[in-house]
Amino acid sequence: MSGAASSPTPLRAAALARVPALRAAHPGAFRRLGPGQRLALALLLGGTLLLGLGIWRLEIAPARLLAGLGDLAHFVTLMLPPDPGSWAQFRGILAALAETLAIAFLGTLLAAVIALPLGLLAARNATLHALVRFAARRLLDGIRGIDALIWALIWVSVVGLGPFAGVLAIMTSDIGTFGKLFSEAIEAADRRPQEGVVAAGGSGVARLRYGVLPQVLPVMAGQVLYLFESNTRSSTIIGIVGAGGIGLTLAEMIRTLEWQSVSCIVLLILLMVAAIDQLSSRLRRRLAGG
Amino acid sequence: MSHGGARPQREAEARLAPLAGAWRSHRRQRRRRALLAAGLVLALLWLAAWVAQVDPRLIWSKGGNVFGYFDRLLTLEGGAEAGARVWHDPAEWFWGWRRWLRLLGDTLLMAYLGTLFGALGGLLGGLLAAGNIGPGRALRWTVTRGLEVCRTVPDIVFALVFVIAFGLGPLPGVLALTIHTLGALGKQVTELVENVDMRPVEGVVATGAAWPQMAGFAVVPQVLPGFLGYALLRFEINVRSAAVLGFVGAGGIGQDLIEAIRKFYYNDVAALLVLIILTVVLIDAVTSRLRFRLLEGHAA
Amino acid sequence: MLELQGLTRRFGAATAVDAVDLRVPEGQMLGIIGRSGAGKSTLLRMINRLTEPSAGRILHHGRDVTALRGAALRGWRTGCAMIFQQFNLVPRLDVLTNVLLGRLNHLPAWRSLSGAWPEADRAMALSALEQLDIAGLAGQRAGSLSGGQQQRVAIARALVQEPAIILADEPVASLDPRNAMLVMDALADINRRYGIPVLVNIHSLDLARSHCERLVGLAAGRLVFDGPPEALTEEAARRLYGLEAAEAAAAPPQRVPVAA
Repeated sequence: MSGAASSPTPLRAAALARVPALRAAHPGAFRRLGPGQRLALALLLGGTLLLGLGIWRLEIAPARLLAGLGDLAHFVTLMLPPDPGSWAQFRGILAALAETLAIAFLGTLLAAVIALPLGLLAARNATLHALVRFAARRLLDGIRGIDALIWALIWVSVVGLGPFAGVLAIMTSDIGTFGKLFSEAIEAADRRPQEGVVAAGGSGVARLRYGVLPQVLPVMAGQVLYLFESNTRSSTIIGIVGAGGIGLTLAEMIRTLEWQSVSCIVLLILLMVAAIDQLSSRLRRRLAGG
Repeated sequence: MSHGGARPQREAEARLAPLAGAWRSHRRQRRRRALLAAGLVLALLWLAAWVAQVDPRLIWSKGGNVFGYFDRLLTLEGGAEAGARVWHDPAEWFWGWRRWLRLLGDTLLMAYLGTLFGALGGLLGGLLAAGNIGPGRALRWTVTRGLEVCRTVPDIVFALVFVIAFGLGPLPGVLALTIHTLGALGKQVTELVENVDMRPVEGVVATGAAWPQMAGFAVVPQVLPGFLGYALLRFEINVRSAAVLGFVGAGGIGQDLIEAIRKFYYNDVAALLVLIILTVVLIDAVTSRLRFRLLEGHAA
Repeated sequence: MLELQGLTRRFGAATAVDAVDLRVPEGQMLGIIGRSGAGKSTLLRMINRLTEPSAGRILHHGRDVTALRGAALRGWRTGCAMIFQQFNLVPRLDVLTNVLLGRLNHLPAWRSLSGAWPEADRAMALSALEQLDIAGLAGQRAGSLSGGQQQRVAIARALVQEPAIILADEPVASLDPRNAMLVMDALADINRRYGIPVLVNIHSLDLARSHCERLVGLAAGRLVFDGPPEALTEEAARRLYGLEAAEAAAAPPQRVPVAA
């Protein structure tokens, strides 16, 4: 305690007197850096070098950062209180939100329907041939590598501006994800019911229909709901490139510096996402329950 | 399977009738519920199609465009072999590779910086927001709400705002990724921290350690492997996001991609897409191997 | 001198510790006995202030430590080192670092968090480990050690806190008989050698009798016995433990000779 610091305790006195002996007996304990620490230090050094490279390449200057932060704080004060502007504009925002939800719903459902056969082909225990499986996997990987926003841009140039491009964008970017999730669910399916069907003389198709599907359908339904949840988030932004939904309005409001409308839209988006999350997680819990 | 008389068979039928009836009614009930669910989904589908103005006839009329577009993506527009498939003349196809690789490098650096800053902030935020070791109720509430906003607002929306505040370029992109990473990782770290073994925490508190030392010595060693795994996963996600932040002027390869798509430079679009996919797949492979090693090391 | 005055802790409607008055003079080895749930752990945890008292006071050399906060509270915790039933080490850190954690409150945060422990602190940690015969394990992960070894690491951590009091909450309840004896011997040795008073919660009557100079008994949160081990007759033990008496008397290990 307080007294201990001023007059050395016997333990400390004994230890200090024996420092050289202790050093000789336990050199490892006195080393500044253990082997693990040395690795950590090397990683730290590498990370810092990369950080320096990034700061230099990406032109991150403190002065610019500070000036921007000042502007940002100003914007935030301008955002309060949230205000849609006019009643007509508010109705427009609500309609765009509904459109956003519709895009997410349609995109998710279409993707699930298309991904089901692809998932079967990519699953180790259901595919026709190893080569087919390999091709299906690479295709799904490639689709997943492209962000929904890129797909939105592509579909806008194919079918024109509007929510239809958005639906296609959500659909295409989800096919990859669904295909992967479905194939994993199928691979993880319990083997015993399948063996039961085969042992009873069932064909390969019968095995999938009665041995695999009953097990994996609830899992897949849960995954569809989960992706619908995440798609309500994605579909709020694809409007930024003109593919329908609230994103278009939001980007317009930001570009025209209508900060009160911006905060109002963001607030409504947060509310919508939270509501969908609630609904979907409740449904998923019921699915998992039976 | 014996050919018994008609009487035993009738008896068996009579005995089984109630069972068969029960099965049938149970099945009917399940069918009815399935039909109801299907009807609901169909009604929602119709409603959604109406709201999103998806016209099946549109699909019919635009169906041809789809193949036409992808066909043009893969057909050389210039050079000696114009008209042939793009892979016949890679030099012509990837004519801008120097610039594109540089932009791709910048994209990766953006993802790295965003992940790094966001992970550090998320670790701190997660420690502050955890219910079991958080230093104070008011601070915890504030941090939790803050993380929620950072996580729920899409990064590209942050990028849109930051581009106006900080000007065009990678800086607003890095900041947008940082904010979003902070929110997402902060939540995950909170969950990790709320599941730590509290005995070491108590042991360190009992030695008279202050909060930062308690967090650093009793909590961080426990959550570190999980945290690093989540951070690597977040880096994968950030690479994908960084590739599109250029759409709103926030740096990286996205700025060239949007220009190529908008101006219908078909071959460039295909080349850029290939580069992006390759990068993403490569990064995924590396980080998933690292995460696997991390889990293995943790188990050992 | 540690003095408890009317120390009480209530959890909802239940009273875990009920108006305990106790004076512990310097250098005493005090065993706190009683059946499980009698309030022994709560009592020790209140002294270290891991659990807040509902009423009463804790005085150390006349200083009231019941309401300390912030740095003063941390100073008090450093001064009364705590040893736990489940050792409460950080399993992923090595043994030496675990012992050095006892020095946390003596150092600025940047030094400990960056791993730049002073040489004197390392020497103290090693000499504490040597004293407990486990200096050879300094580089190992604490989680890979046996229970008995872990508890000795925890004692070393307590020692380097340079404590004025040591509190041990069921230090041997998770150990096999041989290790239980080793750990109790170590505590008694520290008590004798450095004159640090040790308050030890202990379920086993035999170990309590053999290692403590004074025993106090808790039942339903109240102090019901206080005297030297010889005064704890069969009759007194039965009153303290009720039906558990036979078990508490039978459970303790045979005394085995241990190299010091």
